[in-house]
Amino acid sequence: MIKQKSQLLLAVVWLFTIVILLILAAEKNAKFSSSIFALLPESDQSALIRQSSKQISNDFSRRLILMLSGPDETVVRDAIEKLARELSAMTDVAEVFWRVEKEKAIRARNELFPYRFAVLDSKARQKLQKAEYGEVSEQALGRIYSLLSIGQSAILDDPFGLYSLSGSTSAPNLNFEVSKSLLKVTGVDQPTYLVVLELVDEPYDLAVQDRVLGTIEDVTAGSDITIERSGMLLHAAAGARQASTEISTIGLGSLIGIAMLILFVFRRITTLGLLLIPVSVGYISAVAISILVFREVHLVTLAFGAGLIGVSIDYALHFLCERRVLTNSQILPRILPGLTLGLFSSVMAYGAQALAPFPGLRQMAVFSVSGLIAAWLTVVLWFPWLTRKQTIQALPLAEKFNALCRRLPALRFNRFSLVMSILLLVIVAILLASVTGIDDVRLLQTSPKSLVAEEQKVRATLGIKSSSQYLLVKSNTLENSLQKEERIIPLLEALKQEGLVADFQAISNVLPSLSRQEENLKMVSALYDSQLINLYAKLNLTDAKRDESLTSFDREKNRRLTPERFQQLEISNQWVNLIVPPEQGEVATILRFSGLNEGEGSAALLSLSDSDPDLIFVDQTRNITALLGKYRLEIINWIAMAYLVVFVVLVFRYRNRVWRIVLPPAAASILTLVLLVQFEQGINLFHLMALILVLGIGLDMGIFLAETDGSSHTWMAVSMSCVTSLLAFGLLTLSKTPILHHFGITVLCGLGLVWIFELILLDRGRNEVGI
Amino acid sequence: MSRTFLIIALLYSFPAYSSEISFERLVAITETPAHLKGNFTQEKYLKILETGLVSKGVFSYKKGEYLNWETLDPIYNKLSLTPTNISNEQDAVSSVLSEILFSVLTAQWGSLSKYFDLSGRIEDQTWAVVLLPVDVAIAGIITKVELVGDVLLRKIVLHEKDGDYTTIELAYQYQ
Repeated sequence: MIKQKSQLLLAVVWLFTIVILLILAAEKNAKFSSSIFALLPESDQSALIRQSSKQISNDFSRRLILMLSGPDETVVRDAIEKLARELSAMTDVAEVFWRVEKEKAIRARNELFPYRFAVLDSKARQKLQKAEYGEVSEQALGRIYSLLSIGQSAILDDPFGLYSLSGSTSAPNLNFEVSKSLLKVTGVDQPTYLVVLELVDEPYDLAVQDRVLGTIEDVTAGSDITIERSGMLLHAAAGARQASTEISTIGLGSLIGIAMLILFVFRRITTLGLLLIPVSVGYISAVAISILVFREVHLVTLAFGAGLIGVSIDYALHFLCERRVLTNSQILPRILPGLTLGLFSSVMAYGAQALAPFPGLRQMAVFSVSGLIAAWLTVVLWFPWLTRKQTIQALPLAEKFNALCRRLPALRFNRFSLVMSILLLVIVAILLASVTGIDDVRLLQTSPKSLVAEEQKVRATLGIKSSSQYLLVKSNTLENSLQKEERIIPLLEALKQEGLVADFQAISNVLPSLSRQEENLKMVSALYDSQLINLYAKLNLTDAKRDESLTSFDREKNRRLTPERFQQLEISNQWVNLIVPPEQGEVATILRFSGLNEGEGSAALLSLSDSDPDLIFVDQTRNITALLGKYRLEIINWIAMAYLVVFVVLVFRYRNRVWRIVLPPAAASILTLVLLVQFEQGINLFHLMALILVLGIGLDMGIFLAETDGSSHTWMAVSMSCVTSLLAFGLLTLSKTPILHHFGITVLCGLGLVWIFELILLDRGRNEVGI
Repeated sequence: MSRTFLIIALLYSFPAYSSEISFERLVAITETPAHLKGNFTQEKYLKILETGLVSKGVFSYKKGEYLNWETLDPIYNKLSLTPTNISNEQDAVSSVLSEILFSVLTAQWGSLSKYFDLSGRIEDQTWAVVLLPVDVAIAGIITKVELVGDVLLRKIVLHEKDGDYTTIELAYQYQ
């Protein structure tokens, strides 16, 4: 009586805990994210490298490029204007670039003029370095008289034309021109205009995606305007749509399959209702806890969580099957050790994912572990009370199924089975020896092909060339970084001549180091000393004018472009990404390549960075691939460790029967690897992660069977939970999200094989009813 | 009475007709021979110098192929414009400028209509037009282009934003 009361109390406490969890989570205002970057490994790189790669990827992640085209120029222009105005009004959008405003264009063009004696472009500098002063002067004259020269009003302030009209010297040339203030794409058949927008925040918020894409669709809806787009937002939105469809289809699919199976076996609708309780409590608690821990829940986690249904149902099935042959007071003492060991091994197996350096997997681990614990608590605390009135009534189907399975030929230990086992082992060893690892970053690619094609078309049309490869030039001050950059640039120019690297952007081209500015001024002074008189004489101008020119030089020659001043200029916006702000006493600049020769180019840059500790060649694609490969190898060690730990824990309880529990998942895992090598062209990290799940679920089966010495109802329970897991995970095989697909197919093969092994090992001598 | 009416009618209708200028009408009036050659006098008036910088030279033109512009005095300088090097021009400003000059000198009114609005008058066979840039980027450099001519272009005045202007007078030698 007292025991019953305390049980009831615990059940009520658990109910309240769930309610409190839900209230807390609801208050958190959770976000659902779809960023593939969230699934990427956290890098073990320095803060400087992480910050720099974030700056480089922000270029792409927050920017959305839209090209609108149509047969009628006016219609397209009107649409551009309408679209830009609507986008500008949105709070999600930080900036919309769609036209060139006169004042802004003029201001930008003249911003660097005050620094003309200290900031020289590379051509002017080369001439002065060779002291070709006469030639510079001749060119100045040619320019002054030239048909094409316009804007010679600076003839007194800059008689040698040191300040080139183009201003920012190496801004990327894209295929568009300013046509009546708007940005018109060149080299296309139909009139095409451009809008570029910058988001306030990362593009992974589903609500932001809906709002921004909705606005764009509204403007072009019903017209004959074609729109082509490029930007992370699109990929994020596509990924989100895919994941949410998969959650509903895969989740619903497995739920329907499982419900049908249960109705068939138990033939009671109340049992189905009972089974749904721990499953839903598990799922809801898992969502709530993930929200509390991470604030932002990834959609892949939710999709993976849909598969968790199949695992959390294990405990309930085991309880309900045994409850058919055990009384209410008998059941818990009888099955609790098995349930607890099952939970323990699953938590270990799932929890292992938390050790992986992938934030996405870590979230899945927290999700799974909390979901399983919640489902387990629900079964243990609520089920005795919920099923208190149930009478003992053996499942007729359990007996039939049991009898059927036990009629199959069993594995006997004899010479034949030994030879067959050895033969099998050899074949497996040969097949596994040829395993190739796949660590391609494309494993994480979830975007549909059409979207990738659209992206590439926009980039090709506009001539956008960029890569994720860059050289980080670090130092203790920005000045030193700039100086170092200036020393390296000639080396890079040489590599460019050899065709090993494509063009590159360098901040020091537009913001030279102060020491270089000093050097430039010295050369310009020499130019004035040797040529000014001569130039004014040739122009037939008075000495007074020449003196004005000298005064202007003296007045402005000491002006330096400091980084602080530079950052206040309008033109710094397009360069500021190339400066990594100070962190722990280090700053860096970025030399960004628009592409490079993968083999020799990368090798040349790597050897350059090896020769100098302050130069770091960063290639994020390569880094992720390397990291995936590294963890693929590490995870194998981890799985071996997991088996060892489980073996040691279980050996205390099961003594020499322990192999009977551990062998099926182990053998199934190895055979699964063989199958994966054949069907998936190689093994990747995610296949191996899924093998941990095979271990967890496989152990559940072995433990439950061992606890009841393989009773017919336990066999029924574990077989059903195996089928439900196959339904839940097997459907993930159909997922278009690569990670989920890899998980799904591995668990499908693995669990199928575990069940077959359990069947082979099933004790054929036992055929009686009950335990 | 009826005579006065007729004169008034003519006065009002004719100027109205003659000021109704269009790129199409200019195309009809002007000629673009296959070859052209001549001398030019260029005066660049720079407000800040309070004086003009004068230069002289020769030019030659072959339809659809090139325009050579040779300054002979006070310094020697040769500029060759071809449709290809115009489009290859890296600097956006000089690219647009060369396209405008190439079009003006060779009377390719179609490509000018891309950048300018047209006003002015045509009387008999002579015309004087004013081109105003429609594009702000161009308007930031060139505020106005005045052109005077008959079957051929005779004079160009290019006004810049700071009050500077360049006058080019052309004298042809027929081949």
